[in-house]
Amino acid sequence: MSLKTSDLVVATDSLNKVYHLADVEVEVLKGITLKVARGEFVAICGPSGSGKTTLLNIISGIDKLTSGKILVLGQDLTVQDEDFLADFRCNHVGFVFQSYNLVSTLTVAENVAFPMEWSRKAEEEVETRVAKLLETVGLQHRENHFPAQLSGGEQQRVSFARALANDPELVLADEPTGNLDTKNGQKITQMLRMLKANGKTVIVATHDTELMQLADCTACLEDGRLAS
Amino acid sequence: MSKAAFPVNDLLRRRLQTSLTLISLTVCVASTLFLLLFSEQVGLGITSVAANTLTVGYWAIFSNFLLFVGILIFAVGAVIVSFITFLMMVQRTRDFGLIKAAGCPNSLVVGYFLTELLIVLFAGCILGVALGFLTDYAVINMGAFQAFQKTPNVWYAPLVFVAFFVFGLIFGLKPLEAAARLSPIAAISPMQYFGLNEGNKFKALSKSRLTLKIVSRSLFRRQSATVRMVVFLSTVFILLTVSIAGSIIASDTTASRIENAVGKNTLLVAHKDMVNQYTSLLSKFSGATAKTDFNYLDQNFALPDDVFQELNAISGAANFEKRLFYEGRIQEVMNFTFSDSATIPVGADREADSLIVGIEPENVLSEWFMEGRFPKNSSCFEAVVGDSIAAITFEIPLLQSFRMQNATLNVVGVCLDPINNGIVVFVPFEMLKTLNNVSNPNLLLVQLDSSTDLSSIILELQERLAEVNSDLTVFELNETLEKNVGFLEATWSVILFLPFFSLLAATLCLIGYLVLAIDEQRHEFAVLRVMGAKPATVLTILAVQSLIVLFSSFAFGISLGVIITLLILMAQPVVTSFTILAISGWLLAALVGMFLLSLWPAVRFAKKPILEIMS
Repeated sequence: MSLKTSDLVVATDSLNKVYHLADVEVEVLKGITLKVARGEFVAICGPSGSGKTTLLNIISGIDKLTSGKILVLGQDLTVQDEDFLADFRCNHVGFVFQSYNLVSTLTVAENVAFPMEWSRKAEEEVETRVAKLLETVGLQHRENHFPAQLSGGEQQRVSFARALANDPELVLADEPTGNLDTKNGQKITQMLRMLKANGKTVIVATHDTELMQLADCTACLEDGRLAS
Repeated sequence: MSKAAFPVNDLLRRRLQTSLTLISLTVCVASTLFLLLFSEQVGLGITSVAANTLTVGYWAIFSNFLLFVGILIFAVGAVIVSFITFLMMVQRTRDFGLIKAAGCPNSLVVGYFLTELLIVLFAGCILGVALGFLTDYAVINMGAFQAFQKTPNVWYAPLVFVAFFVFGLIFGLKPLEAAARLSPIAAISPMQYFGLNEGNKFKALSKSRLTLKIVSRSLFRRQSATVRMVVFLSTVFILLTVSIAGSIIASDTTASRIENAVGKNTLLVAHKDMVNQYTSLLSKFSGATAKTDFNYLDQNFALPDDVFQELNAISGAANFEKRLFYEGRIQEVMNFTFSDSATIPVGADREADSLIVGIEPENVLSEWFMEGRFPKNSSCFEAVVGDSIAAITFEIPLLQSFRMQNATLNVVGVCLDPINNGIVVFVPFEMLKTLNNVSNPNLLLVQLDSSTDLSSIILELQERLAEVNSDLTVFELNETLEKNVGFLEATWSVILFLPFFSLLAATLCLIGYLVLAIDEQRHEFAVLRVMGAKPATVLTILAVQSLIVLFSSFAFGISLGVIITLLILMAQPVVTSFTILAISGWLLAALVGMFLLSLWPAVRFAKKPILEIMS
């Protein structure tokens, strides 16, 4: 299969991932072939341990595949070094974790700003963008607070703002509502809906039926294979 | 797993931390033991004065340094032991909580970790004692110190062992006791695990770049460990400055005083036996012995007047100094002084055999480092005494006088002169002539112009003296001078070497501190990497943390070290631009070395894949 299709943001072909744990080989992903078009909202579902997080990690360049092919935004990430991957993630991919993962030593505003500092944006541009993003997620009044002073839902909204800081073409979210109550989960769903409306390419690993309903297509993983 | 196996397995599981703790403890114990063994063996011990080498004045300078360095090494050892045991036990707080949460009784968990502490302390102290003896054996067998070989005092071993073991136990028990009091939930919290402050309210360096923001706030968050580390490193840098700056300055200063006392570019003219005796007397300073039954006033040693005529005829000989040497007995004369209208007696009636040297006060080549002044003229009843005889025979020398061959001489000066190891009195030549009924000196010092060709003038002088008396000879004093200066330099280099162990231990502790920083921030570093931070950014954050801790300690330690060295330990130091360069070079090398070595865990960490960091 040729992966060189300009409209595809993510394209994988027979992607396999094997972990070696002591003497045991664990095949986490088996022959995954997936295409995500520009502006598409894809939900990846499946039970715990089915390989959802691993797939997102490989798409973002955090993890390497064992065999197969993958192109993300036209780049073959398997042949790139760490510095390239860091720049790539910083400028083209936004990542939202299930457990928020904010930097505890930085304030809310600083957490949102730091990916922009690495992409060497002007100070004024960073300040304007941070203000706009915090307004979008409804946390402008919390900009000088540290993560420990926020609720889980608020932390996840900061995490969203941070993921969008460099206006990435691809947003990956790993069970973004998994740690939240219904009310906060709905706020996150609302944000994802907004991203979809803005034409962002979004891949969400989730169990949340509401999020799955939002998706243009759903890919279900079962025991490392794409079931549908 | 059996109950007994848990402590051992836990120590093996934390290989890096256990190794760092063990090595740090070992080098602390070793450095303290080595200091005690070595200082006693060389005879410059802190508690015993073995006066066979160095004059009392020189010994006092060296002894002060050694005492100060000794105190600092012990202080560094104590701080290191407290820091590493604190670090070791604090990092077990989380496990403490987990084991308690699993239902294990408090007493049993305390027992587990107490056993670990005891194992590490015992092994570290034993290894330290062994390394201390080995190092002492190796150093004492090096060329410069072979003359001082004697059986080491084995009683220092249990003393040092017990001191450090008890110290480690006290400081290790504190965090263990604190962990025992915590509820399992509180013990599991990272706040406890890393000794962090409550909350994160301090927004240090808000306007700075991201790296500095993360660095400064992380350092403040780990306040407890950071402050301990800065205090500890400051003590190490005080020790380093006192040892390095002190030994270089003291070496230069004492060498310069020796050179000025013995004389540079100076020739000795005397009967060959007298030359041998004189050089032996000068070399007593570095461990040589001189003849005790030498008859200085033998008529054969008297220099005939023809010698002076021959010398006057030689160009290049700038100055001459006539000296009359002999051995005699001097007796202290008691004096009185007044304080608050009360009369206080000074001295007693002590006696001592001393080398007595007749000099012409207006014509002396030596430029002694001295307290007081020179005799006014050649026939007055005034004397300058060597520092050793001043310490042995007088209470307040400059307020006293002494009797010698029925004459009483006032002490007007105390000088540092290596001859006869400072057991010497310099008295006016004319007065000695009268007392001993001799008219000629028995030794002549000739100072040459610095531009003079030494070998040709020696040859010429030899030829001219041979015509007067074939037993007369010329001797170049530079050789003896170099021997004495070399001995001084070797002695001072010991002090330079002493902080090596402490420096090594400090580097290991700094590595331990960075390991703690990595542990504490590892998840955040993983997040930063996911968000686009390069491995170099993570390395920079860790390197800047290490630099800040190092530099703040360096600035404090160096300033205090310099003050101690120049204002307390060394009077009127000789500090040249080369001295400053040498000291700066050594200290910077130590700083750079420590910094680079401390980066080792950071480099290893920065290379790790993101998922491995996150797991």
